Amino acid sequence: MKVKALLIHVSLAFGITSGTAFADTIKIGIPQPMTGPATQYGDQIQAGALTAIDAINAQGGVKGKQLEPLLIDDACEPKQAVPAANRVVNAGAKFAVAHACSGTTVPAVNVYEQEGIVAITPGATSPLVTDTIKPHYFFRTIGRDDQQGPFAAKYILEQLKPASIAILHDKQTYGSGVATQVREALSQGGANIVMYEGINVGDSDYSAVITKLRGENPDLIYFGGYHAELGLLLRQAREQGVNTQFMGPEGVANQDLVAIAGDAVEGLLVTLPADFTKLEANKQIIENFNTYGRDPDGAFTIPAYAAVQILTQSIEAVGEDADAVADYMHENAFDTAIGKVEYDEKGDLKHFEFAVYQWDKSGEFAELE
Amino acid sequence: MSDLLPQLIQQFFNGLSLGAIYALIAIGYTMVYGIIGMINFAHGEIYMIGAYAGLVTLSVIGVSSGLPLALVILIMLLVAAAITAAYGYAVEKIAYAPLRGSPRLVPLISAIGMSIFLQNWVAIGQGARDMAVPALVTGAVQIPFGDAFVVNAPYSRIMIIVVTVVLMVALSFYIKYSRMGRASRACSQDLRMANLLGIDTSRVISFTFVIGAMLAAVGGVLIALAIGKLNPYIGFLAGIKAFTAAVLGGIGSIPGAMLGGVLLGLAETFAAAYISSQYKDIVAFGLLVLILLFRPTGLLGKPEVQKV
Repeated sequence: MKVKALLIHVSLAFGITSGTAFADTIKIGIPQPMTGPATQYGDQIQAGALTAIDAINAQGGVKGKQLEPLLIDDACEPKQAVPAANRVVNAGAKFAVAHACSGTTVPAVNVYEQEGIVAITPGATSPLVTDTIKPHYFFRTIGRDDQQGPFAAKYILEQLKPASIAILHDKQTYGSGVATQVREALSQGGANIVMYEGINVGDSDYSAVITKLRGENPDLIYFGGYHAELGLLLRQAREQGVNTQFMGPEGVANQDLVAIAGDAVEGLLVTLPADFTKLEANKQIIENFNTYGRDPDGAFTIPAYAAVQILTQSIEAVGEDADAVADYMHENAFDTAIGKVEYDEKGDLKHFEFAVYQWDKSGEFAELE
Repeated sequence: MSDLLPQLIQQFFNGLSLGAIYALIAIGYTMVYGIIGMINFAHGEIYMIGAYAGLVTLSVIGVSSGLPLALVILIMLLVAAAITAAYGYAVEKIAYAPLRGSPRLVPLISAIGMSIFLQNWVAIGQGARDMAVPALVTGAVQIPFGDAFVVNAPYSRIMIIVVTVVLMVALSFYIKYSRMGRASRACSQDLRMANLLGIDTSRVISFTFVIGAMLAAVGGVLIALAIGKLNPYIGFLAGIKAFTAAVLGGIGSIPGAMLGGVLLGLAETFAAAYISSQYKDIVAFGLLVLILLFRPTGLLGKPEVQKV
């Protein structure tokens, strides 16, 4: 009896999946971290992409078809990236808003490129994403580390003018990538870098590194990586009585950072994409977020919204053929939630704006001039 | 470079507090191995559950409950120890007891399965995200050296070292003088013979798991208070490190686990300080390889006599 019941379940399950396969929707894969330490970034991208999809569906969809989001978990782990990308492919989606983390995006790009899936990342900033295979089907709605790194370095050299700088990074694709960019730009600007060192992700005790930092006594500590490690560094640095100015890239900008670091977050500087929620042109979009009960704040939320806009505008223009969409995206400019978007031949943005933000004690942050 | 000495002292303190946590967890590995000769790979997860139990207790009491801080921490420790004791007992009864007498690899695989299960169990219950623990114990003892460098010993880390030392001493006395301690020493010498002589070995085995779990819980709560971040996956790395510490000190030997934990903590810290933090694990595990090459039974381990 049990076996029979199981068989019925299995056949029902197949029935359901094949049913949706024939339904007239345009599938958009959204492989993002839904578990693990980078979950918040995945949440931001989901919020942006799903709001855009809901808003477009409410207006009748694209060419009369509804958009269907497929949520897939990549846990921000490189080894889960390719299976996650394959699930996008196997689900029959031709389009994707792909991967928050650079570490997962770099291996996944190959899958999208081979299978001809048009994918846009609103989160992965590493140059390796597009430089290694120069993809035709892969795009970004976020700047590259070598746009952000020099921007951060310029701010450090012109505004902060520290006598000595220490750079730490988490040895991962994203963290060490952006730290390298900052280091290069700083040494070209003649800054005095007294320490450049990697730390282990997942460690809980960084007191040894902090004691070492105290020995070097730098005026500024730049950290390339994510919020979990920076939160611990800030808290443990404060514990040892270090009050040095910290600075980091957009990967650290996360409310969990405040929870972990507590008061020690005060004064932290972060380079982030400019705050798109404040743009006059985005009033309607922010309205959409309120309608669907999602949070428009977060570094990757509006870029994710823009990714869906770009995909749907292209599908509207040339239809659902992935090749045609990719060609169209390379050749045309788009009006999106992150402003005017134009792509170069390997899918990178021609322009992307960053700004420097400072945290206060309560965990709020404001843009600096 | 008059800073050298105070920096060395600061690093020594850092290493000691890290090593104390390793030692607390390592005891669980070593006691279980000493008695039934298996590696309980789910032990790291028990530590993680202890940390979560402490955090949940704290949020039930409330951060600003008005209770004295020491009392709040004591309640956290007791509740966490009680909960993990139940977990330790249940893990042994569910995953290992039915496999007693089977080839050694079988309970090992069962342990790995238990470890994965417990990780996901907590991830479902508490969410897979990082959770933050509010900084309860703030402030530090500051010892100035000259005018340049101040050795800074945060109270949260002093607490780790003090609590660990107290527990180690208590455990040593308990094992040495109590009835249960004598029984467990007898079991570790020869389980079957102890059984023949009328010792309730299955009770001793349960006791071993419970004691190990309680110590790991204390480690979990203390580190959660000192570090301030938790997720369901912290048990894996901590477990591997503590297992290394147990092997380093001589698996099966309780003083060995204590020594191994402290040594591993110091080795990691000094490697991070004077070589590079990217290579600290290489140094720590390199040390392990070296010690095993020259002393295959670990620092304080006794050569194993093949039991027939």
